[in-house]
This record gives sequence, structure tokens and C-alpha cells, in this order.
Amino acid sequence: MLKTLIGRELLDNLMTFRFAAVALITLLLVVVNTVVLVQDYEQRLESYNDAVKMHHQDLHNSKTYSTAYVIVDRAPNPLSIFNVGLDKRLGNLIGIYHGFMPTLWDAQMHGTDNPFIAFFSSIDIVFVFEVILSLMGLIFAYDAIAGERERGTLRLVLAQPIGRGQILLAKYISAMACLLVPLILSLLFALLFLTRSIPLSTADFFRIAGIVLTSFAYLSLFYLIGLLISVATRRTGTALMLAMFVWGFLILVYPNLIRVTVNPGGDIQARVKTAHNQIQQIIDEYERERQKFLENEGIAGEMSEFSKALGFYHQADVNPVTLTTYIENMSVLSEIRPDFEKYVPVAKRYYNFVEPLATRTVEKAWRVRKQALDEIYVQQATTDRILLKLSPVGIYDAATQAWAGTNLSGLRDFFEAARRYRKITIDYLYAKDAFSSREWFVADKGAVDWRTLPAFTFQRSDVRTNAKRALPDLFLLLIANLALFMGIVLIFMRSEV
Amino acid sequence: MWHIAKRELYDNLNSLRFALATVLLLALMLTNAVVHLREHPVRMQKYRDAAMESLNTLTSRTDLYDLAQKGPEKLYKKPSPLHFSADGGDGLLPAFTHAASHFRGGDLKSFWRMTYPSATPNLKNIDPDATKIDWAFVISYVLSLIALLFTFDAISGEREHGTLRLMLANPIPRHTVLIGKFLGAFISVNIPFVIAVLMNLLVISTSSAVHLDASEWGRLGIIVGIAMLYLSLFLALGLLVSARVRQSAVSLVILLLIWVSFVVFMPNTLASIASDFSPARSYDAFQEDRRQTRRAILEVYYPQLSATDDPSKKMVISGEYVTEDATQDGRLRQEYLSERISQVSQARTITRISPVAIAQHLLEVFAGTGLARHLQFVENVQLYAREYHEFIADTERADPESPHIIGVRDGMSKKEVSPEAIPIFEDTLSLSKDFNVAAMDLLLLTLFVVVLLSGAYLAFVRVEV
Repeated sequence: MLKTLIGRELLDNLMTFRFAAVALITLLLVVVNTVVLVQDYEQRLESYNDAVKMHHQDLHNSKTYSTAYVIVDRAPNPLSIFNVGLDKRLGNLIGIYHGFMPTLWDAQMHGTDNPFIAFFSSIDIVFVFEVILSLMGLIFAYDAIAGERERGTLRLVLAQPIGRGQILLAKYISAMACLLVPLILSLLFALLFLTRSIPLSTADFFRIAGIVLTSFAYLSLFYLIGLLISVATRRTGTALMLAMFVWGFLILVYPNLIRVTVNPGGDIQARVKTAHNQIQQIIDEYERERQKFLENEGIAGEMSEFSKALGFYHQADVNPVTLTTYIENMSVLSEIRPDFEKYVPVAKRYYNFVEPLATRTVEKAWRVRKQALDEIYVQQATTDRILLKLSPVGIYDAATQAWAGTNLSGLRDFFEAARRYRKITIDYLYAKDAFSSREWFVADKGAVDWRTLPAFTFQRSDVRTNAKRALPDLFLLLIANLALFMGIVLIFMRSEV
Repeated sequence: MWHIAKRELYDNLNSLRFALATVLLLALMLTNAVVHLREHPVRMQKYRDAAMESLNTLTSRTDLYDLAQKGPEKLYKKPSPLHFSADGGDGLLPAFTHAASHFRGGDLKSFWRMTYPSATPNLKNIDPDATKIDWAFVISYVLSLIALLFTFDAISGEREHGTLRLMLANPIPRHTVLIGKFLGAFISVNIPFVIAVLMNLLVISTSSAVHLDASEWGRLGIIVGIAMLYLSLFLALGLLVSARVRQSAVSLVILLLIWVSFVVFMPNTLASIASDFSPARSYDAFQEDRRQTRRAILEVYYPQLSATDDPSKKMVISGEYVTEDATQDGRLRQEYLSERISQVSQARTITRISPVAIAQHLLEVFAGTGLARHLQFVENVQLYAREYHEFIADTERADPESPHIIGVRDGMSKKEVSPEAIPIFEDTLSLSKDFNVAAMDLLLLTLFVVVLLSGAYLAFVRVEV
């Protein structure tokens, strides 16, 4: 019996105009946007490759250790085609330096030749699905029960020896089977375009499978919302109106509304200020030790001579907004005048003392800063995201971003890697005894050889991590599905025909 | 005709969609007002502080050479008090231009040239994406959707119920029926919209933090007019589809799909495609051009400079060199800016296939935000830069004791310049200019409405009952 019902519903749905129209539009939108997105990705990849080459060259051009310019770049994520998330928005290059702790708040952007283009927001595949799949679900569901009730066929069906739950199940299964056709078809086309120009790894296919699964849950959720409306209303006209306004509210209004109505915490300024003061104290302490060293060496009085001899540049700052802590000790000179040669031993001792001190200071400041940044920026963003999850769109977006690795954690992985790389470079400098070497500040006795410096590599987190990040949201979607289905069955059981 | 309109109106007033539309529009508009009241004073304060600081630095200079060399400091774009009606992506656009000069070493300092900061995408923003809830959003997305929901069954619904036959049995011409239906829907969508707008303005105008003057009220009137024109477009579209299709459910599906493709997707997708047509020079290429130009100028003047020992002649050549350097570099920067702007403008032109893009451009123009406003600001800046140059030249000429060599300290007037004499930058908006910019969009929008209305008429005339 269930089979017959499913068969009937399936035929009913497949033969309609709305099915053809929806399938066509989904396919069209996904394909057109994929082509645009692939092109955009290729451009970003090209500018990434250029940047890597340039930064590599820059490093090998630096002749001394102290003027070395190590910059690492973030490659565009190929899965950003599915959900761009923060991949395009956040900075994609960051300096690696022992007197500085790289975070995403310090990153900069390469490859934006015309930033005005940012006027147009990019449309990714998940966005197309967000809008279209939800609309599809509602359009297919609004008259599922209300329509039959209006036409009187519901009474006929219920006269048969089948449970009401089974009727709902049959309707659900057949509608989902129909709705999956445009979803799968458009995804296949998208993948076709994608794999032609972007090589994807096996792991990427698993991630895409995760995205498809999430899309499925999302689609089903909206179908169930439509079904709920259909069960609860007597007329199709009312059901349709309710469905459309629910759609407009959940998709269009709520995600934009919630961001402005939640007032960002008022004492952000105060929090930044306390952290700033704390870090300033750490820097002051560093400065005191530095001065003490200079006095002990007996060159505190002839600092101007000393700086002139070394082409000396010193800076220890903390940015009052982003709390970026930066300690720089640098010599910009090509050779040492013979009469300044007497300062060389002092200079070696100075750098050998001050650079490890700077490294430690920055690490100490980082502990304060990390906490402050988490409290000020990350928490705010997290709260916003949680509030967004009151709409299925928010959950869907978060889950697909997690699969694609373009969410906040995915991007923080990169900066985590950058910080690890900083550690590696420092170890490298220690291993080379660079701090106490002449090459630290002058290259007149031969330039630094950078070839042995380990290269920076960044692997996106593995599929398991992606899944771990995405599964809570996916479960949320599934639970919402289940709860809605139970609710629908309950209402339908108790409704009069 | 009024009968039909009235009947439609009464029908709609009692309907669920009317109630839902009212609630939705009111909620959105009130949020908009509250957010504006929270944000606008901060924005204005920031602007005032920055502009004041820049002005103080400028007027504190009394030495003519100093004035001529350092230029007019940073010039700030005045935020529009109508920000709530269209945000126009103002957060992305640079809010100032900068008169920059570079230290050249020795006595020879380079003169200022206008630099145009690039757009400022916020690299530190880790918040989820969100569109600003401004009038433009409410009008272009929500209002258009509501318009479709009010008209999709206007004709097909009546045909389904059989009431269309009844109505047409009366001695009324079909176009009267259509116009009646249009007017009925127009008025019933406008009631919640106008109430929401009035509530929004009530909240905004009762607060002392935001002050709107007569011309701004006029602009708001124009914006509401544009909203109504845009609304008519979607009503006409709804009637057209409703007349062509037998079932209202099918009519709604078609309308929704049209709406989704034209309103949600078309503008951004088209823009992404179109922005590749004429890409601007890359930043590196631009810097390379600058370097080459600088070198070329140096190659002209450096041999001349080293050829003479005569200090007065040297001074003349240095003066010419400094002026030429500043002019050429300023010109290159301006060219680069217009290249980038024209790339964006071109992309925006193509998005005009979608009526949403047209409406949004229009709203931006009249709200004094967005790209058009930025271009006007840049134009104002350039006018002012000319005025500033003339001021330097005039003051120089007015001093008979000076050797009149602009570009070198010893060649210029040593007389003290009074702070009152220095021209002051004023960022003004002119409504007539805005109309010029908007004319094309206005015509296009009207054209859309007319075409769709006549389409609806033709479709309805041919309807078999």
C-alpha cells in the first residue's frame, strides 16, 4: 500500500510544471555560478602563485638575518566554490618574524587589484541552494495535505486501510525523491565543470559528500516546514501565503535582522584598553632589561654612535586596536666603516641578548592578546553565529562552511600553522647561531644562505576534523527534521478530515 | 474602475497576506530606524573630528612654501544623513583622499599630489555575512516579493473561482478591470509600506541626534516615489503572469522563480562576469608606470641641473622638476582611480538588466551614498585641488618681492599667509547633478513598468474566460 501511495505521489510530483521549472532554474543557476566561481578561483590561485614566488625571491634577496622578510601566503581553498565563507574576505598573507606573533588580525591581502569589485558579493553554490532548495521544499509541500483536503481526495485516501503516519511518510519520501533530482543533477554538472579545471583530492570528494548530505537535510527541513503548514491549515491559499512569508522571514529577513539587533558588547573599548595596558607593561619590562644590558655593556651613553655604526632601527609597539605586538631590532647597512669595527663584538652580544628576549616578550604578550582577542572578537562572532542558527539557513551555512573548511576554525588553522612556522624559523636561527653572528646585521663577509630554511607548508585539516566541526550542525538539522516530522504526524493524527 | 479597485482593496485588507506584510515591513523599518539612530551620531562624530583635525593642521601653516609643498591634508567625505535609506556599500568605499608628499632628501622636497585610497575591505571582520537592513533592502527585496504575493492570483484566482466570468459579464471594458485590479493591489501594498515608512521617519525625526533639512525631505520624497515605481513594476509583472497562466499555483511558481533569478542572483552573477571584461591595470603595473614616469622626469631634469652652476638657474630647474613630478604622479594616480572605477561602473551597467540593480542605484544616488556619491566626492576634491593650486599661485604673484619660483623654498614668497585666506574644502551634494546621474536609470525603470503593464494588458485582453 505504501508503495502504491509513493508511486502515485511520485508521478503526481514529477508530472507538474513546478518540477520542470524548479529543476531548470536550479541547474541554470548552479552551472552559471560555477563557471564564474571557477574562473574566480583560478584568478586567486594565480595571484597566490605569483605572491609565493615573489615572497620567496624577497627572502633570498635579503642578505642579513635581521632584515629577512619571511612572508607566507594562504592558498585559496578550492572548496570555497561551494561555500566561500571567510576564505576570500580575510587576509591571505602574513609575515613571520620572531618579534611578532602572526594572527588573522594582522594578515594582509594580496591579489586584489581592484578592491572596488568587492561591491558585488560573490554567489557560491551553497547560497544558490540556500535560496532555491528552501523555496523548492516549500512549493512542493504547501498543498500536499491542504490541497487533498480541499479537493476531497484526502477523505478517499483515509478511507483505505492505511495509517495516517504512512500517508505522510509516502508523501515525504516521494517528494524528497523528486526534489533530489535537481539537487543531484546540478551538483553533478557543477562537479563536471569543477574537475575539468581544478584537481580535487579524494578528501575533497568526501567533503563534498558531506556538503551534499547537509544540503539534503536542509532541503528536507524546508519540505517538512511546508508540510507542517499544509497540515495545520484548511486552505491551500492560506498555506501558500504562510509558507511564502515564513520563507521570506527565514531566508531574507532573519539572517540580516539578527546581526543589527544584537548590540555588540559596550565595554569592548574598556577590554581592549586593559589588554593594551597589560601588553604595554610587558613591553616596558622588555625595554628596561634592554636598557640594563646597554648600561652594563657601557654603551648606553654612546647610543647614537652605536646606532650609526649599525644602521640601527629599533621599535617595540603594541597597536591600540588590534593589540598587535611588534618588536623589531634591525640593522640596515651594507658594510661597517673601519672606525666602527670596534662596535661589532658589542653588537653581537647585543643581538644575542635582545633577540631571544624579544622572542620571549612577544610570546608573553601573545598569551594576554590571545585571550583578549577571543573575548572581544571571536566571542562576538560566535554569538552572532549561534543566533543565526535559529534559522535553518544559519545551520546550513555553518555546516557547509565547516565541511569546506572556509569557516573561522578552518582559517584559524592556517594562522596556527603560521605560528608553528614561526617557531620553526626561530629554532632554525638558534641552530645557526644567527643571533650572535656577524651576518645578523651586516653582509660584508658573505650573505646569508636561506636555502636550508625549511619551507612553509600548510595542509588543510583532514576530513575527520572537518566532519567533527560540521557534525554538530548536521545533527541539529537532523534533529529539527525529526522533531518537525513528529509534530506533523501528531497534528495530522488529531486533525479532522 | 474605482469599484473594482475598492473591491480588491477590501478583499486584501482582510487577508492574511496583508497582515503579514504589515508586520514584516513595520518590524524591518523600525529596526532600520533604531540602528540608524545608534550608528549615525557615531559616524558624524568621527567625520567631524577627522575633518576638524585635518583643517586645524592646514590652517596652522603660515608659510606659503609649507602650504604649497604639503598640500591640503586629508579631505573627508561627509556622511549622508540619509544613510538609513540606502547604505550603498559605503563601509567599503574610502572616506577620504589624501594629499601626500614624499621626502626626497636634501633641500628638494617633493610637492603634494592627491592620492586616492583604495576601497577598504575589512580584513579583520570575522562576523558572518549580512546585508544592511536599509530602505533599499526593504524595497528591492521585501517589497517586490510582497507585490508578487499580492498579484499572482489577481486574475488566475478569479478565473479559478469563476468570478472573472461574472465580472466580465457586466458592461465594463477589460482594460478597466485590469487598471482597477492594478490600483487595488497598488493601494493595498502601499498602505503597509507607507505606514512603515512613516513610522520609520517618525522615530528618526523625533530624535535629536539626526537632523534632516528641507532638501533631505525632498530626497526622501523622491526615494518613496522610486519605491512606488519599482513596486508598480512587480505588480505589473504579477498581473502579466497571472493573466497568462490558468492556475494560480503555477503562476506563483513562475513568479517566484523570476523573482529569485532577477532579484537575488542576477545582479551579482552578471557583475562578476562583467567585471572581467575590462580589468583595471594591476597594482604592480601601476607602480611600475609610476616608477618609469618618475625616472623619465628625472632623466630630463637631472642633466640640466648638473650642467649649470648658476644658483638662480638651478632654482628654476628644481622648481620645474618638483612641479612636473607632482603633476605627472597626480595624473597617473587619477588615471588609475578612474580605470578601477570604470571597471566597476561597467559591471554595474550590465547589471541593469535586473530592475533591482536599477532601483538600488537610484536609491543610492538620491540617498547620497554609494559609488555615485563617491564619484561626486572625488570630483569635489579635484575642484578643490585646482582652487588650492590657484590660491598658491595667486598668493605667490601678489608678493612683489618674491622671485616667483614655485617648488623651492628660496624661490617663494616669505610673507605670512593668514589662515582665513586658505581655501577650505566643502563636500557638497547637488540634487540637479544627482538627477543627471539618475536620469538613465529612471527612464529605464519607467520603461520596464510601461512594457510590463502593456504586456499585462495584452495578455488580459486575449484571456479566454
